[in-house]
Amino acid sequence: MNSATPAPARLETLLGELRKVPAFFRRDLLVAWSYRLAFFSDWINLIVQLVVFFYVAKLVDPRNLPSYNGVAPTYMEFVGVGIALTSFMQVALGRVVAAIRTEQLQGTLEALLVTPTSPATIQIGSVVYDLAYIPIRTVAFLVLAALFFGIHYFASGLLPVCVILLVFIPFIWGLGILGAAATLTFRRGSGIVGFGASVLTLGSGSYFPVQLFPGWVQAPAQLNPITIALDASREALIGGTGWSQILPAVLTLVPFMILSLAVGIITWRWALRRERRKGTIGLY
Amino acid sequence: MTDGSSIQAPGTTVGERPIEAEGLSRRFGAVRALRDVSLRVERGEVHALLGPNGAGKTTLLRILTGLVDPDEGRLRILGIDPIGGAAQYVKRLVAVVPSGDRTFYLRISGLENLVFFGRLLGLPRSRAAERAWECLAAVGLTDAAKGRVGVYSHGMQKRLAVARALMADPPILLVDEATHDLDPQGARTVQGLVTGAVERGAAVVWATQRVDEIRGFADRVTFLDRGAVRFCGSVPQLMAVSITQRFAVHLRARDRGLDVLSVARDVVRSMGVVDPLSGEDREHLVLSLREGVILGDALAALTASGVQVLACRDERSGLEEAFLRLASKETS
Repeated sequence: MNSATPAPARLETLLGELRKVPAFFRRDLLVAWSYRLAFFSDWINLIVQLVVFFYVAKLVDPRNLPSYNGVAPTYMEFVGVGIALTSFMQVALGRVVAAIRTEQLQGTLEALLVTPTSPATIQIGSVVYDLAYIPIRTVAFLVLAALFFGIHYFASGLLPVCVILLVFIPFIWGLGILGAAATLTFRRGSGIVGFGASVLTLGSGSYFPVQLFPGWVQAPAQLNPITIALDASREALIGGTGWSQILPAVLTLVPFMILSLAVGIITWRWALRRERRKGTIGLY
Repeated sequence: MTDGSSIQAPGTTVGERPIEAEGLSRRFGAVRALRDVSLRVERGEVHALLGPNGAGKTTLLRILTGLVDPDEGRLRILGIDPIGGAAQYVKRLVAVVPSGDRTFYLRISGLENLVFFGRLLGLPRSRAAERAWECLAAVGLTDAAKGRVGVYSHGMQKRLAVARALMADPPILLVDEATHDLDPQGARTVQGLVTGAVERGAAVVWATQRVDEIRGFADRVTFLDRGAVRFCGSVPQLMAVSITQRFAVHLRARDRGLDVLSVARDVVRSMGVVDPLSGEDREHLVLSLREGVILGDALAALTASGVQVLACRDERSGLEEAFLRLASKETS
């Protein structure tokens, strides 16, 4: 760097970058609203999913399910939390990865990269709309399930679940950035992410208790961050344990969050540098 | 940068040259896209980057925009090294009009697109909106401002790309094949907009493969071919490179019984070749003279053998001739 290069205060630069994030939110809100049918289809799918599991629940013997704080849930109550968190994860993960791919495909990635915007802002900005929309969708799912499908959740559990989400979202986001880096490098990197997400979801106890797995699968499944987040959320929502189970879960999730974010950001920067070196950034 | 006015980069001086590149090289696998390319562009100058397909123009522009790193060479943008720590900063000084169409969000309006990109340039929302309207008016898109970009014509999208580049009134403007497949009127509009930026002191690099559009527009030309600079100078200097050796001639025999083509071929055999300009027409011909042969001698020989020379003109323009001559230098 030239010695005469200006060095604006880091804080000023950071604030300048943060001020750009709402622009991405507005852009994606306008784009989402321009696809009204897809917008409403998403909500219809959510309701269909509830109906399907409502009837599947009638086939499942609740005695096979674990109890939470002494409360034996129905399958609908059990799976409701699982669906809320995993659909959150899948949508968030999918969109973080797809954001960069979409920019590549529509030819706007280079247009973004030639602006004085840091790659981190582009990455954050590309998902800020989804990060705001998906929690709303998740809470709406739980409220709909409670109102129309006879599910009983402790309202006191909603706030602790939000705290779980505070560490769970960055964990997922880190995975998403890793996927975005894979997409930037391999173009069709979403397959790798999809595979990883499926393995994590399958071993998380979202749709059935991990206790049903063979013993050798159960141990790693208990270390799955999604399992940890799910168990804590179920304790809070089904068992009504409030905050008591949240702190240990949060403390366990924090290292996963840091690791996921660190690996994601490092890989993303590496992928971007590699593309600049190769000169193939806009290719798809 | 907080508004759309011209900016003086902090850490630079008024005297700093907008673009100074020396010995830039770039390889993509086995392909050497750029070989020891140097480029100097001054304020208020339109610098044409001319060359055939695959010459390395876009690679050079991508290096100037920071999308691609050079393997070797030195680059300074207004005195700042854009590779490395100052990359984001330098992007505030450079605006790009890309060659492709699809560089906008097609589902949202032209206005919203400009406001979005304006905000990425660091403009507050209200100033970005204000500036977007100004730029839309400048490119004649006010009426279409609220329409989705997806329904814009090719020419409208190009004008929108120019509007986006003008949002920050940048000191450096890089234009990549901006008038490629635009109709003449559309091309002239885009050139006019860029000229406006030049009049405000911007340095413009105008990459093109169309020789006709640099005449009367570009101040200087760098001719690239197969990744290397073949020529650098003014447009008149470029034209001086061309020594036209191909002429379109209209001949007629004084004696109606003579076959003009056969006679002409016979007469100029030692000086060059004569071919019909098209199909069966044996009076409109192309006269290609060997290096060093004087046109007057060939025409005199034709006249002496009973052929009237009704018209004679360069088959190609001087610029086109120079283009072909420079582009074929290595192969010849």
